[in-house]
Amino acid sequence: MQLPVLNNTPSPAGHEAKGGCSASSCGTTDNQMDTLPDSIREKVQNHPCYSEDAHHYFARMHVAVAPACNIQCHYCNRKYDCANESRPGVVSELLTPDQAVKKTMAVAATIPQMTVLGIAGPGDPLANPERTFETFRRLSEEAPDIKLCVSTNGLALPDAVEELSKHNIDHVTITINTVDPEIGAKIYPWIFWKNKRIKGVKGAKILIEQQQKGLEMLIAKGILVKVNSVMIPGVNDQHLAEVSRVVKSKGAFLHNVMPLIAEAEHGTFYGVMGQRGPTPDELQDLQDSCSGDMNMMRHCRQCRADAVGLLGEDRGDEFTLDKIEEMDIDYQAAMEKRKVIHQAIQEEMDSKRLEKAVKAEQHKQEPKLTTRPVLMAVATSGQGVINVHFGHAKEFLIYEASPEGVRFISHRKADQYCGGDSTCGDGESVLQLTIRALAGCEAVLCSKVGYEPWEMLEAAGIAPNGEHALEPIEDAVLAVYKEMAAAGKLDDKPEGLRANA
Amino acid sequence: MAVSIIDLCVNCFACEPVCPSNAISEAKPHFSVDPKKCTECEGDFPVFQCASICPIEGAILDSFGIAINPPGSLTGIPPEKMAEAMAELQAH
Repeated sequence: MQLPVLNNTPSPAGHEAKGGCSASSCGTTDNQMDTLPDSIREKVQNHPCYSEDAHHYFARMHVAVAPACNIQCHYCNRKYDCANESRPGVVSELLTPDQAVKKTMAVAATIPQMTVLGIAGPGDPLANPERTFETFRRLSEEAPDIKLCVSTNGLALPDAVEELSKHNIDHVTITINTVDPEIGAKIYPWIFWKNKRIKGVKGAKILIEQQQKGLEMLIAKGILVKVNSVMIPGVNDQHLAEVSRVVKSKGAFLHNVMPLIAEAEHGTFYGVMGQRGPTPDELQDLQDSCSGDMNMMRHCRQCRADAVGLLGEDRGDEFTLDKIEEMDIDYQAAMEKRKVIHQAIQEEMDSKRLEKAVKAEQHKQEPKLTTRPVLMAVATSGQGVINVHFGHAKEFLIYEASPEGVRFISHRKADQYCGGDSTCGDGESVLQLTIRALAGCEAVLCSKVGYEPWEMLEAAGIAPNGEHALEPIEDAVLAVYKEMAAAGKLDDKPEGLRANA
Repeated sequence: MAVSIIDLCVNCFACEPVCPSNAISEAKPHFSVDPKKCTECEGDFPVFQCASICPIEGAILDSFGIAINPPGSLTGIPPEKMAEAMAELQAH
């Protein structure tokens, strides 16, 4: 497995990271970006979508100006208007470019932490070139302190590269699920190309060629490219390591593997046909092998095409069209205020990063344990501390503790994607579902745990722990790990645990 | 001789720019086709442009009122499978 690189320099020996950790990405520090060239690190280290610590401080938003699409994906349903679902490709209201600019400036003035504006749908931004580029053009001029991003399926990308290079575009994300037309035909039923709907392998082949060509053209222009892939078990899961190799060799700086979201109620092909998504273990294995040393996207929340706020939260309701119409925004004044706040955040982040680095250094000096790695779940609402009651957690962050240190692995939702009754068809309670979502974890750290969940967690082999309330996550995870090691709990592998967790 | 857009339309804009006759416009509650302008693409393209990019089965009808993209033709979901899944969801 090759490391993410900007050019074709071979990966240094010993860094063929697969599964466990290699020295540079581990320890209790967030140095996931150390292998990046300075020019790229500069651009992404404060980007909420790329930086695990930055996403607690900086917010992002998407404006839904791009409704049209030029392809069909089997994980997407083009009836995109839904208030309750949280997944890509879904929005509540479409915006004109003018409304999008107003909304962006209203959000930037109200939430000064908002630094990144993306256009991600609900269709394909580049299949709506006029609406997308008008929005970018105006924001580059009127709100120059906001970074712009765009994501695309790639079909229309080669024709858009020139225009993209003219704006304040921070980076482009291409969703590449395959480089093999046979596999592509199982993911993309059709594309619209040169005035025709083209189905099957033929359509997939054209899409793949356009994606690869677009990727090469962006790199040649010096624009940062991230590649997203949706992991679809039995369809492209075995193939994504090859995708990773190809896109990195062409210069993509990051490959982000996301799990398929497929539920029958979404009305998608995969949902209705019963295609399953990956288990957390399968996802983690593949992410480890594709991200190499840079687990920069593990906190990815696969957000809606009109999300507003910090990752994992959505404040879109505060900025509906009728509400922004009434707001009177003085953007010059707002920019001054934003600058001051950004500097303060930067200082806080720098000091926390330094603190972590110091602790990681101390950890290295301590005698090294030889115990096996353990997964732990953490309930937090941000700021890097354990501060949420077990029963109130909407999601859990999963950390791996090992003799190398502590690393963030992923987040898992505690409630279902769609709201509804407290019981689902099988009569499982929300509590049972939550405990099932924590499968593979051996401890759960939260500010408090109630009596009923306590017993159920213990019965499920997950040790509840409320002793580290308000402590920094990494410190607490490491402390619990050391307690487990001292108690001799890590000498044998528990039944069913992954060999390389 | 004209196609028509019915209320299944999700207002995605995809058809509007591909129409060779500028016959499609944004309207409420959904996009509409001006029957005076629509040529069914005759002389321009061998296939209906709007119906070739439209992602919604049944949303565009030909001049006989028949869906150009019938159920299952675009998503690949067999209609009986879709009905089954929806019935199952209703039952809960």
